[in-house]
Amino acid sequence: MGDVKLEHITKRYDDVTAVDDMNLDINDGEFVTFVGPSGCGKSTTMETIAGLTKPTEGKVFISGRDVTNLPPKDRGISMVFQNIALFPHMDVFDNISFGLRLRDYAAEEIQRRVDHAADVVQLKDMQDRMPDEMSGGQRQRVAIARAIVRNPDVFLMDEPLANLDAKLRVHMRTELQRLHKELDTTIIYVTHDQAEAMTMSDRIAVINAGTLQQIDPPLVCYNEPANKFVAGFIGSPSMNFIDGEVTNTGFESEHITVDFDPSAVGVTVGSNITLGVRPEDVYESKNARVVADPTAPIAAKTDVLEPMGNEIFIYLLLSEDAEAAMDTANADDQLLMSTDPDSTLGEDEEIEVVLDRSKVHLFDASTGRAVAHGLADPAPATASSAGAPSDD
Amino acid sequence: MATEQQDGAEVFGTDTDEEPEIKRGLIESWAANAIKNPDRTYKAMFYTATIFFLVTTLFPFYWLFMVALTEQRNLQNVGVVPSGFDPTLLAAGDLTMGTNPGVFIEVFTLVPFHRYMFNSFVIATVTTIIVLIVASLAGYVFGRLRFPFKGPLMLLVLIVSFFPPAAFFIPLNQLFNTNVDILRPILADGSLYNTPYAMIIPFSAIFMPLAIFILTTFYAQIPDGLEDAARIEGTTRLGALFRVIVPLSAPGVATAGVLTFIAVYNEFFFSFLMTDGGAANWAPIVEGILRYQGQYEVLFNVMAAASIVGVLPVAILVVVAQEKIVSGLTAGALKE
Repeated sequence: MGDVKLEHITKRYDDVTAVDDMNLDINDGEFVTFVGPSGCGKSTTMETIAGLTKPTEGKVFISGRDVTNLPPKDRGISMVFQNIALFPHMDVFDNISFGLRLRDYAAEEIQRRVDHAADVVQLKDMQDRMPDEMSGGQRQRVAIARAIVRNPDVFLMDEPLANLDAKLRVHMRTELQRLHKELDTTIIYVTHDQAEAMTMSDRIAVINAGTLQQIDPPLVCYNEPANKFVAGFIGSPSMNFIDGEVTNTGFESEHITVDFDPSAVGVTVGSNITLGVRPEDVYESKNARVVADPTAPIAAKTDVLEPMGNEIFIYLLLSEDAEAAMDTANADDQLLMSTDPDSTLGEDEEIEVVLDRSKVHLFDASTGRAVAHGLADPAPATASSAGAPSDD
Repeated sequence: MATEQQDGAEVFGTDTDEEPEIKRGLIESWAANAIKNPDRTYKAMFYTATIFFLVTTLFPFYWLFMVALTEQRNLQNVGVVPSGFDPTLLAAGDLTMGTNPGVFIEVFTLVPFHRYMFNSFVIATVTTIIVLIVASLAGYVFGRLRFPFKGPLMLLVLIVSFFPPAAFFIPLNQLFNTNVDILRPILADGSLYNTPYAMIIPFSAIFMPLAIFILTTFYAQIPDGLEDAARIEGTTRLGALFRVIVPLSAPGVATAGVLTFIAVYNEFFFSFLMTDGGAANWAPIVEGILRYQGQYEVLFNVMAAASIVGVLPVAILVVVAQEKIVSGLTAGALKE
């Protein structure tokens, strides 16, 4: 019950391929989030599961049944929409009971189920309200009640919180998690907000350009991204990427050198490679004692500071003419660093930074595929001379 | 602003309505007033225009009513009041004051006018139902689905309404006067002549394009999410159309329905030629009215009364439907 399986799903519109050979296996009771930039095919994938669009190729299985050619009503699913989609000409009771009435349930049974569903979403005394008399959050809760009242095998949620304001969104996020705990039903959740994906899911399916990039638990996606796209998409602000080359001693770019043993990692010397490091794994040299295995210090100049309260993001320029680049994450001569909120660094200061070698990622420059997560120090001797700033 | 004006009034010590230092004539001061107070002018213009249109549209009805109330022998000189109208007769105990309200009963006694009304009503109602159902399906397809050659197909449908109905008449009349054996069990002589079908079928076809056009525009505006939600909740596409899309498009459906009903109810050309004019042969209202026209005299007062009686159902329908339209507009909070 409640497991969903996609086999080679492909959806083409005229000349555009929205979903390209998608294979997915979602277990019963799992909370899986589809995440990706807009237009990546995540909503189309969801609509294919719902039955609102037919895949060009491939098969959809829900609860072990092949539902590829079944209409939405026979698939044992319910759905919450981004635009809420309550029927404006019906009151809350009629909206919630719409599906039950279509299935000819007895009046008492309908009343009992609607009461229960309204209870779950905390809308007890509002059953005779019209949708336009309710706030956005209440309407979204009615939509959720409408989805749970039929006890479906699978819930589909298509960016249900996107139209709510920021504070309500965080609140509803918690409520959805509570709901999932309570109902223990499979939930497939579509969002472009990676924070929602990180906080709520059992597994995240990262989708880009119609293809599945990675499906793994949130922390695995964060710590061991399968490719450069996942690495850049999961985590905010984005990971720093620096293009460089593999040398005999490790990674080398114009401004950054990271020593490692190429044969141990399995990269060929002379090949192009992209180094990725998250802002929180960049440290100021004098604070680097916490890092077990820092890299050689990198000279940098602070540019702009973004104090967030619990941390400060500092944009670092690695060369004099670096300011022209706008795309910080992909600029080879810029780094984004996050520091403690009590850091005393100001703008335009010359500093030295190190990277946490165990948190550095390497990606194949041409395919974007991850080559290594975390690097080992090649020789303790070079580490002490180059990378140990402990005398500061 | 308010305080500034008050200050100004105190400083200059004049009343704010007029500037006393200029002497103005009647029209000049009126013009000055209008410039200072354009809202009043607009309001005045609004009432002028409204009264003008009301008089031009309602006066014929009033006059029709006066003609109806005039006695047959006084018909030569009907004025603003029925000739022979004399309020002083009220004192003498004549409640009619010299008019002839009995004509409204005569309407039904001279000719079975109620049957003619019934005929028109049935033909209009059935046509409206057929048009609304078929046009709803077509409107759904044209308004909500994507398919090749949608534009040309829509144009083709609309082209039907470009033809004058007379263009279809001769082939249709031929067709409906042909005896078809297969229809004999249902229709006495196997032809559609003198049956309501001879009118319902061409009317449905002629008034369909307009209804399709109206419903297409309305159905296209219903958010896709609502239809998707209905389908997920357990309806088919057809179910979603009639449970969600049609109720939410109530103003459009009412408009298309009322327009079709009135057009068919008032239709004369086809009705006149597809029946022999007998009340039992499904002749419509206009035929009934023409029955008061004999070879030697024309009962204009009875015709006028019949016209008024015939208009009443449509007037009631429009008032009821209008309420529906207005409530549909105010309740139609189509927030996504």
